[in-house]
Amino acid sequence: MSEQKVYLLGGYQTDFARNWARENKHICAMMREAYEGSLRTTRIEPADIKAAFIGNFAAELYCMQGHLGAFFVDFDPAFRGLPTSRFEGACASSALAVMSAMAHIRAGMYDCIALIGVELMKTASPAKGGDYLGTAAWYSRESAGVEFPFPKLFGKLGDVYEERFGLDDTYLAQIAAINYANAKLNPNAQTRDWFMSYDHACSKGQYNSTVSGRIKVTDCSQITDGAVCMYMASAPFAAEYARRCGITLESIPYIQGWGQTTAPMEFSAKVAESENQPFVLPWTRKAITDAYSRAGLKDCWDLDAIETHDCFTTSEYMAIDHFGLTAPGQSWRAIEEGVIELGGKLPINPSGGLIGCGHPVGATGVRQLLDAYKQVTGTAGEYQVKNARRVATLNIGGSATTNVCFIVGK
Amino acid sequence: MKIQKVAVLGASGTVGSLTGGLLAQNDIGVWFLSRTQAGSQKGLARAQKQARSGTIAKNITCGDYDTLLAEACSQADWILECVAEDYAVKQAIYEKVDALRRPDSVISSVTSSLVLDELPKGRSHSFRKNFLSTHFYNPPGKMAACEICGTSQTDPAVVDVMADFCAAKLRRAVIPVKPTAGFAGNRIAFVLFARITELAVEHGIEMMDYLVGPYTGRLMPPLATLDLVGLDIHKAIIRSLQAHTDDAFHDKLVLPGYVEKMIAAGHLGNKTRDKGGFYKKLESGEFMYIDPASGGYITAFRPHVQFVEKAKDQIHLGRYRDAFQTILTAKGTEANIVHELLATYIAYAYMLIGQVTDERYGIEGIDRVMSTGFNWASPSLMVYMLGGKDRAIELIQSQNLPVPDSLRTDSTSEQYVFNAGKYFPAK
Repeated sequence: MSEQKVYLLGGYQTDFARNWARENKHICAMMREAYEGSLRTTRIEPADIKAAFIGNFAAELYCMQGHLGAFFVDFDPAFRGLPTSRFEGACASSALAVMSAMAHIRAGMYDCIALIGVELMKTASPAKGGDYLGTAAWYSRESAGVEFPFPKLFGKLGDVYEERFGLDDTYLAQIAAINYANAKLNPNAQTRDWFMSYDHACSKGQYNSTVSGRIKVTDCSQITDGAVCMYMASAPFAAEYARRCGITLESIPYIQGWGQTTAPMEFSAKVAESENQPFVLPWTRKAITDAYSRAGLKDCWDLDAIETHDCFTTSEYMAIDHFGLTAPGQSWRAIEEGVIELGGKLPINPSGGLIGCGHPVGATGVRQLLDAYKQVTGTAGEYQVKNARRVATLNIGGSATTNVCFIVGK
Repeated sequence: MKIQKVAVLGASGTVGSLTGGLLAQNDIGVWFLSRTQAGSQKGLARAQKQARSGTIAKNITCGDYDTLLAEACSQADWILECVAEDYAVKQAIYEKVDALRRPDSVISSVTSSLVLDELPKGRSHSFRKNFLSTHFYNPPGKMAACEICGTSQTDPAVVDVMADFCAAKLRRAVIPVKPTAGFAGNRIAFVLFARITELAVEHGIEMMDYLVGPYTGRLMPPLATLDLVGLDIHKAIIRSLQAHTDDAFHDKLVLPGYVEKMIAAGHLGNKTRDKGGFYKKLESGEFMYIDPASGGYITAFRPHVQFVEKAKDQIHLGRYRDAFQTILTAKGTEANIVHELLATYIAYAYMLIGQVTDERYGIEGIDRVMSTGFNWASPSLMVYMLGGKDRAIELIQSQNLPVPDSLRTDSTSEQYVFNAGKYFPAK
């Protein structure tokens, strides 16, 4: 298999605090704004783009609209006839678009691909939206008739940790507080103007009610509308692009490593499979170690930051030991020692992550990749990790069913 | 000067409680003071609702003026006055505060309609030196704007310290303004509001909010916004601007007779829901609108104007500049109304550069207050959407309005604005 480098040329994220349903905008308006913004943040020209790959989870349910790739050809006359495709893998939808774009570039089919991750979710009530999200699990067995299936499933993830290793929920509160604090530094984060504190995350009651099991409101990522557009390119195209921009090819980030795995759909099957194993979610761990291996990393300490999939505080708690910051079951140590904070030894989610920045489901994978790009190019603004040279992303779909990890560096 | 403790006067009201709540959210110790303990407690509940957290109560001490004013004023680094917009009421409490406060404490008012220089008259030298305006927009949880300025006697260093504090600690969009009536935001917006109320005499409330509704660059229709503000407040601001400003747009500052009658009859807007304002919400959720001619409420007729519908559809698809070409090329009475109000907004905003904000900020200060204080597309963004300053100048000239030199030389409006679409709902 060819291992030629696939470069990232930057892109643009919409403001995740926006409510596009309230603005009465079609999902194609969100895609268009992400695309138009990306032209301003990069020096890509419409004629450079040879294909467009769209990551989206459930526009058919939220917007009664499928076939999203076709909207892209309306954005510029140069796009008439352009090959477009749409990818679905629950919350990892746009990471799958990235995987496919990488394969197409390596196969020599296209030299520059536009990636759009998009989800318009505020069209639905919380209950209806919860039901739609339930299709990312095994609907008839895990979601039908359950008001909020995913808080329930990720609450169970916390329960498994508690059973196997012990879990103090104040560490989950700390994860929420850190993500919200980071989000305040991110001008595109959904919660940047929201109040949050460790005390509030620890509180229970009127303003922080229980959603399911041990999961409270502050443990959850929110319903988010958002889109991200970014560009991936072959080495020859990136070299030409570098000349055009007056920069060196070496200054452009590329995907150094990747890992993709699929675990059994049902959460109970995952847990049963991992009994007597060190890691609670071995297929998630494997996606990470595969990415480490392909990037030639010894361990997580070769990274400068991580953008992980904290759809709930429990999923970030899981990611901490699965990335190898601590021994299995001891994620609390990294939290307690300040390792994951911005300014810590290995910051997690400097962007605010899904909890702070927001989680427009089908956009999250590309959003993480764009934030990794910003970190390693020193363009993350107030949430910049000092001297970041290599950043990992972890995007998971369902209850850690589809797992995709990328290592981005220069 | 480090701001660690703040006394909020008038904490039973919306502005006082929510601004005080914002301070508590940022771990500042706050005294919530009002005429009664119960009023301050009500303010606390409102602040907690804004924060969506009960935990901020640990930073808040509630009390009434009789029992807590002396303690609070003697310890506070900043005394934030949010009492009624009335010279006598404010000056009476300033007199008490002057006798109790530390000589180095800052005193600010959230006034938006009174003449700032008048407020600290008769107070001690240290009071006047440390007195300024911090005009937080309401509700501060949603509106980040804070216009800030001193009087002719304020120590400029105090203004700088407070501007830094509000920006860094409270994450406000701080706009340094000059101490003129209405500062920047209200001065511009209320000329538009006044003209719209006047046009409604002929065209009706529903039609005016339809023609210059959200699709023209604001999150809320203008007359619905006035219902939220309160017509009594609207009147106070118009009267203040009439008395204390004088410029080429002064004749647009009118208070039509039907609005006066509404205020006299207690139809003040959302604060008098049973009586209504420009709008009256029925139990069914439907709205009726006041008829300027009869003073009674009439049922909705749901206007439908072709160019408006076309522009909204283009906005629905994210084609904002195309929508403004549709608006610009439209003809007829309705189009003329939209053209006049767009031209007035742009011309007046650019004309006020140097008068309400410092010349060196260009249009930026005014842009910031209109977007973060009103959720309106900023003047320079409107120029961009129209297709650039040449098109904007043509529009202004077509309405026989003066073209400000600052618009002719402006380059801000030529730049693409990220996330501009959020100011243009397809409604």
